Amino acid sequence: MGKQSFSRQALETVVGRWSLVVGQLLLAYAVSFHAETAWAQAKTVVLKGGKLLTISHGTVENGVLVISAGKIAAVGAAGSVKIPKDADVIDVSGMTVYPGLIDSESYLGLTEISAEDSTNDLIETSDEIMPHMHVFDAFHAESELIPVARLNGVTNAIVAPQTQDTLPGQDAFIQLDGKSANDMLRERDIALPLNFTGEQRRNETWEKRKFPQTRMGLASQLRQAFIDARDYSDRWAEYERKKSDTTKADGKKDSPSPPKHDLKLEALVPYLQGKKTIVLAAKDASDLQTAVSLAREFHLKFVLNHISHSQRVLDYVASLNVPVIVGPIYEDPKDFERYDAVYKLPVELNKRGVKIAFASYDAHAVRNLPYAAGYATAFGLPHDEALRAITLTPAEIWGVSDRLGSLDVGKTANVVVANGDPLDVKTDVKRVFIEGKQIPMTSRQTALRDRYSGQ
Amino acid sequence: MSRVSRLSCLAIIGVSLHVCAQQPVAPATHNDVVIKNAVVMTVTHGNIQSGSVYIKDGKIAAVGKDVNAPSGATVIDAGGKYLTPGIIDSHSHIALDDDVNEATSPVTPQMMMMDAFDYQDKAIYRGLAGGVTTSLLLHGSANMIGGQAVVIKHKYGAARDAMLFPGAPRSIKFASGENPKRVYGSKDQLPSTRMGNFAVQRAALVEAQDYMRDWDDYNAKVKRGNNDAKPPKHDLKLEALADVLRGKLLVQIHCYRADELLTEMAMAREFGYKVRAFHHALEAYKVAGDLAAQGVAIATFSDWWGYKQEAWDAIPWNAVISMRKGVRVAIKSDSEDFARRLNQEAAKTMRYGGATEDEALKMITINPAWIIGVDDRVGSIDVGKDADLVLWDGYPLSSFGLPDKVLIDGDVYFDRSLPGFGMPHYREGE
Repeated sequence: MGKQSFSRQALETVVGRWSLVVGQLLLAYAVSFHAETAWAQAKTVVLKGGKLLTISHGTVENGVLVISAGKIAAVGAAGSVKIPKDADVIDVSGMTVYPGLIDSESYLGLTEISAEDSTNDLIETSDEIMPHMHVFDAFHAESELIPVARLNGVTNAIVAPQTQDTLPGQDAFIQLDGKSANDMLRERDIALPLNFTGEQRRNETWEKRKFPQTRMGLASQLRQAFIDARDYSDRWAEYERKKSDTTKADGKKDSPSPPKHDLKLEALVPYLQGKKTIVLAAKDASDLQTAVSLAREFHLKFVLNHISHSQRVLDYVASLNVPVIVGPIYEDPKDFERYDAVYKLPVELNKRGVKIAFASYDAHAVRNLPYAAGYATAFGLPHDEALRAITLTPAEIWGVSDRLGSLDVGKTANVVVANGDPLDVKTDVKRVFIEGKQIPMTSRQTALRDRYSGQ
Repeated sequence: MSRVSRLSCLAIIGVSLHVCAQQPVAPATHNDVVIKNAVVMTVTHGNIQSGSVYIKDGKIAAVGKDVNAPSGATVIDAGGKYLTPGIIDSHSHIALDDDVNEATSPVTPQMMMMDAFDYQDKAIYRGLAGGVTTSLLLHGSANMIGGQAVVIKHKYGAARDAMLFPGAPRSIKFASGENPKRVYGSKDQLPSTRMGNFAVQRAALVEAQDYMRDWDDYNAKVKRGNNDAKPPKHDLKLEALADVLRGKLLVQIHCYRADELLTEMAMAREFGYKVRAFHHALEAYKVAGDLAAQGVAIATFSDWWGYKQEAWDAIPWNAVISMRKGVRVAIKSDSEDFARRLNQEAAKTMRYGGATEDEALKMITINPAWIIGVDDRVGSIDVGKDADLVLWDGYPLSSFGLPDKVLIDGDVYFDRSLPGFGMPHYREGE
C-alpha cells in the first residue's frame, strides 16, 4: 500500500496536533502523486487523425497523441510523431481532441438528490466560521453524479462546501475516476472559500434574526477570527521558542505548558501565512471591495469568485492582479442591469488582461461546464480564451498546470475525444481518458436510456 | 444547489387565469415590414436560404425566396443570418411576483394567475432578449389542482392588457407527486401520500360532477316550467372543475414518475376529460407509448435532474426517446434562467438522441404552441400567423447564437444594437 497509507485514517491520527497543518500538506502532496500511475493503462494508446486543441500551443490538424503509462508521451502533427509498434491505434479522424476539463467550483460527492437531506453533506450552518470543515471528510466517491459529469469531458474538479457561511470549510481537488475517495482526491484542503455575498447573513426573518444579521456583523466576525488565529499562531510560536530556549542565565531549561489546541484557528493559520489560497467570493461591487480590504488587512493570498454585479469596477478588479472564477454567468442580472450584464463579464475581464476560469457551481450540472464557456464566446470572449478558462487557466490557478490543463508531453493523460467544438451544446463526447485509462462511457443515466429506448 | 432553490419546480408554484378566454386587444397600427436575406427556419416547411418574410399589420403576409411587398415597407436586411419563429415557453412562473402557489388548500382551480400578473417584471424582458415571445404562466405544483393560467406575449414596455395573448384558450394546472404531499403532509393534512394525492383529486372531480348534476336538474326543472325550483349555489371552485369536465380547459399536469403519468391518464379517462400535456414528465420515456396513444404531449427539461427523488431517473434522452415513440415534445423553462436560452436547451436534444434541427426547433416553437393551444396563431413562419420572429446573429441551435432582434406582432420589441436595455418600447423610469 505504501503511500496509500496516507488515508483518512492516517489523517485522523494527526488531527488535534499542531502537526495537523504540516500533516495535511504532506498528505496532499502524497495523494497528489501516489495515484498518478495507479490507473494507467499498461498498453500505449495512440489517438490518430484528430484535431488537437492543445491549449498551450495552438491547434494541430491531423494530429497524433500518444498516451503511455498514464501520461501524454508525444503530441504533434501526423508524420512528426513516431507511433510505437505495439500501441493501440485509435482513428479519431473528424474528431476534436482536448485536455480534460477542470471545474473550478462544484459540489460533486457532497450531494446525491438535492431535496433529500439524507444525501446531502454540503455545509455546516451552525456557525459562520467553519474553516476546520474539510470536504474530503464527506466526499462520496461512489456518487452517481460523477460518471454523469465525466461523460461530458470533465475530468477534474474543485469540490467546495456550499456558500451559506463566510468560511464554510476547505475545498478539495479531485479527479473523476477511481475506486475510492483516496484514489480520486488529488489535493485535500487545496483552498478555503471566504464568502461575502450577503447570503451569509442570518436574517432570514426578523423574528429569527441572530448575529451576524448584517454585513458589518459578518465582517467583524471574520476580522475577529483572523485576529484570533494570528494570536493563536503567535502563542504556539512562543511556546516552541520557549521550549527550545536553552540560553537561560541559570542554565535551567524552561518547561512551558503548551497552548490549548483549537482546530478552527489552526485551520486558518496556513491561509494567514499566505501558504494557501483563499477563494474570495463577492457579487456586488461594494461587497467585493469590503472583502478585498479584509483580505489585504490580513495579507491573504486570494483569487476572486463570482463578482457577478461588479461591472462598474472591473478596472479595479484588474488592478488586483488576481485570477477570477467568473460566474455563474447565468446569474440573473439585477433589474437595473441590461440583460447581458453578467454574460459579458468574462469578455470584459479578458479585455483587461484578467485571468478567468469558469465553474459549474453545481453538482448535477457539472457536465454543462463547457456550455458556460461557450455562451461567454457568444458575448465576445475569444474561443481560445473560453476553452483555456476550463482547462489550463484553472490548472494554473489550482497549482496543477505541471500535470493538467493542456496536451503537452509529460502531463497526465486526461484527454477527451468529441465530435465537434467542446463548447457547443450539440457536441457529443465520444471518449474520455483519465490518467491514460479509457473510462467506460456509461452512467446510471445511460443504463436507463438503454433499458427503455428499445421498447 | 443554489440553482435548484431558484427553480420554481421545487419551490412549487401556481398560477391561474381568470378571464374566460383572454380578450382581444385592438391591434396597434403597424408599418409594413420586410425581412430579407435570411435563412428562414419556418419549422413547418423547412428552411429557405436567402429567404424573405413580408409582415403586414402584425401578421406574416408572405414567406419565400422573394416576396411581393410595397416599396414603402421597412426593410430589415438579415445579412444572411437566421430567422426563426419566436420561442414559446409552455411552462413559466415569471411575472407573478412570487404569487405562484395558493398553497392553503390542495384544490384551488378558481385561482386566476391573471390576478397576480406583474407585467413590469424584468424577467419578461430577459426572456424576450433570449428570443421568447409567448409564455404560459402557470400556477405552481403545491396543489393537486392549482389555478388557471395566463398566456402572455413578451411585449415588454407595453400596457398590461396589451401583453395578454388575445383569445388564448384557458389552461388549468394540476400537479401530483412529491410537491402536494410534502406541502400538505408537512402540515399534517391530507394529502401526505400519493394515494392521498389522487384521493383528493378524485374527490374534487366527483364533487364537480355532483355540482353539474345539480345544475342540470335545476335547469331541466326550469325548462319544464317549474317556477319553484331553487337554483344551486354558484361555486367558483366547482364551476372551474365543471369546465374541466366539460372540456373547456386545457389540462396541464405537473407529473414526474411513470406510474403517476399512467394514473393521471386513467383518472382523465374515468372522468372524461383530456390531458393536454404532462409537465416535467421526466420519466415519460418509460411509458412513451402510452402517452402517444392518448395524444398527450410533454413539456420537459433537456437535462436537469436529481434535484429531488422523483427527478432521479431523469435522463437527457427523455425528449428524443419520447418523440421517437410518437409523443409531442416541448422543452420548457420552468425557470427565469432557462427561459433566456431555451434555444440551447432544445439544441441539446440533437446531441442526446440525435433530434434533427427541425425536430429540435419544434420543441421550442410549434409544439409548445400546441400545448398552449395557440399553434394556429404562432410557432412557425407561415402566412397568416402572428409576426413573432427572432433574428439571430448565429446558428440558434448551438451555444453561440444570440437574438439580434425580436419582433412581436410585427413590432421590434428587442434590438440588441440599441443602447440601454435594447428595447424600443421601453425606457427605464418612464
